[in-house]
Amino acid sequence: MAVQQIMQTATARSQEKIHHRDEAVKWWLGVALFNVIVFGVFGLITAYKMVMPGLFNGVSWLAWPRIRPAHVNGVVFGWLVPVSIGLFQYFVPRLSGTTLYSEKLSKIALGIWEAGVIVATLGILNPWGGELGAGSLNPWWMTKGKEWEDYNAISNLLITVALLIVDYVVFRTLAKRRYRQIYVAVWYAVGMLLWTSLVYVVGNWPGQAIDWTLHNYFGWDSLPHFGFAGSNDANVNWFYGHSIVGLVATPGAIAVAYYFIPKSINAPLYSHKLSIIGFWTLGAIYFWVGAHHLIYGPIPYWLQTVATVFSFLLFVPVAAAVINFLGTARNEWHQLRYNVPFKFFMAATVMYFVVSAQGSFMALRPVQAITHFTDYTIGHSHLALFGFATMFSFGAVLYAAPRIWRRPLYSEGIADWSFWLAFIGITIYVLSMTAAGIYQGKLWMDYPHLPFIVTVVDMVPFWHARAGGGVLMVLSMILVAFNVYKTATSEEVDQANGTT
Amino acid sequence: MARPKAEQSVLWLGVFASLTMIVALVFTAIFPSYNNRWSVNTADGSQFFRAKRADTGTGYSQLEEHGRLVYQREGCMYCHTQQIRPLRTEMIRYGIHHSPAPPADEREYVYDEPHFFGTKHNGPDLSRLGGKYSDDWHFSHLNNPQQMVPGTIMPAFTWLFSNPNPADPSQTPVPDHDCIALVAYLQSLGADRMVWDPKVNGGNGGYRPWLLPQDKQNSLQESQAALSRAAKPIRAPAKPD
Repeated sequence: MAVQQIMQTATARSQEKIHHRDEAVKWWLGVALFNVIVFGVFGLITAYKMVMPGLFNGVSWLAWPRIRPAHVNGVVFGWLVPVSIGLFQYFVPRLSGTTLYSEKLSKIALGIWEAGVIVATLGILNPWGGELGAGSLNPWWMTKGKEWEDYNAISNLLITVALLIVDYVVFRTLAKRRYRQIYVAVWYAVGMLLWTSLVYVVGNWPGQAIDWTLHNYFGWDSLPHFGFAGSNDANVNWFYGHSIVGLVATPGAIAVAYYFIPKSINAPLYSHKLSIIGFWTLGAIYFWVGAHHLIYGPIPYWLQTVATVFSFLLFVPVAAAVINFLGTARNEWHQLRYNVPFKFFMAATVMYFVVSAQGSFMALRPVQAITHFTDYTIGHSHLALFGFATMFSFGAVLYAAPRIWRRPLYSEGIADWSFWLAFIGITIYVLSMTAAGIYQGKLWMDYPHLPFIVTVVDMVPFWHARAGGGVLMVLSMILVAFNVYKTATSEEVDQANGTT
Repeated sequence: MARPKAEQSVLWLGVFASLTMIVALVFTAIFPSYNNRWSVNTADGSQFFRAKRADTGTGYSQLEEHGRLVYQREGCMYCHTQQIRPLRTEMIRYGIHHSPAPPADEREYVYDEPHFFGTKHNGPDLSRLGGKYSDDWHFSHLNNPQQMVPGTIMPAFTWLFSNPNPADPSQTPVPDHDCIALVAYLQSLGADRMVWDPKVNGGNGGYRPWLLPQDKQNSLQESQAALSRAAKPIRAPAKPD
């Protein structure tokens, strides 16, 4: 009830008085949409290299093991985090009844951020390779060699500075808010910004580079070392790695959903209390599950068990969010016929539940024994980051673009196409990867004497299907970006959205 | 309807949100890393694995340390894991004949910064690779994986090789220093891992290398035979000594 009032007053007052310039939002969304196409295409190259290993043969910087981390980190740090930050700067001022603290600071942060992403991607691809001589084996410059920590130390510094500036801008905006009550979307946005900043520093600590420098230039071999090694390193790696999914991508997308689902269908939020339960259980549980990436691995057995237990507890925040989203939509299902952002949101909600339930069961030892190291995990991660987080962001971008640029959406038809391409693409992707993973895992489990290469060759048909699904996913990205571009550059001025 | 005051403060929201992270970090990452009773990976494993060397400060030689950096730069860990799970099937798959591969132990990894545990088997696990194949097999395989393993999806790391005579492209490529270091590192993987055997020491029991000499010899012979069938085998360059 209160939330309903707040949202109504927020809209009413902003229409009366407050003029949102949204300059920074335009830039953040534009750069994010550019990145999603670049790093989506990187993913497509990765997928096609699985079925055509000779593709770009001999080109070191397009080799599979360099393109893959560039794709994985690129879609998170080039697309998901910037698009979330961009959308936060859209709805935080609107929910606070005030304007953004500083458009300029935010744009500077974006410049630093994108510079970080470019430096990091160059460091991973290492296109100068041998020409840099020993420099190409410099741990400050090249990949850190750990999943989700692949971005090099130089770029970590840039991205951290950019994150702190964004935190500052958003918190200063909140500090001058006119409504005391904080709507739940802002809770998730604040949580996402804080958690991202904290885990980013912990996870990207350049221990190897510091120890390498001390050893090579100062002959320092005694304790203390400045980074973890071996199992400790892996454990911290996955504490961070799972936080990237659970406390960066998830709260980012959920914050967006909590604002844009009620807005896009013009319906009040189902339950405020449920959303608060979801927020605090997310924070309290998600940080504990990182070790489930190392089940049966050389880390303490109790730690693996703790991770499994907490993985199942994750049903609480997931159910809270999903029930809330479906409850909000409960009387508005007819809008699915024509409201494209709503289609994205509902598909993403269902996929959020599916991927989270899947993740909880994957943390069980008997399941993990088969699915670990297989394509099953690849399907799971894409269902999470594309099916759930990206689909929420696409819907929100398509809803927000006409309001930011104050022009009607260029084409509802193209928007519809982008939804169906994304939906069918991710479905093909996940089904083929899930089937491949179970098949390959069972082969390894049941036929220990079968030559490894046989279990690889058998996967090729699934990989063809996956690459086809990937083509559809990249097409949907291109269509969303094209639609936004044409909306932004359109001559028409939309009277209805002219002042919001 | 008035909401609780606690819901109106960004400060308290931030403080408690940060606390959720810090509590979990302490319990799942900091405690296990610094407490030998919670995990054994800080314990001394030299009897069981290799001892620390004076020149590098780790268990690896300088060449192997260089090879680790090449392994990291080329991203080998995205397709190859370095952890064998305590499952029967993996111990058989990565073992050789009478020598089942021992599962991963925390003490084996104390020198690994960064760790190369990996998460995906696009190719097989490498943690027990040392001594299974000859150096020449590795060079030929890195230069053109298809000729050693037909059907493989591994990329050809041709940029780790150079042509001894650029005027004549038909010359057999020669591995660069990076490649030699990489193969030295690959050959060190798992080779020093000891397993407890009650039969050694005249029945008194003791540690022995996990790969039995007979199995190692057979495996090397097989890799040499495969090399002789290859179209364009690459041999290690003569040692400078």
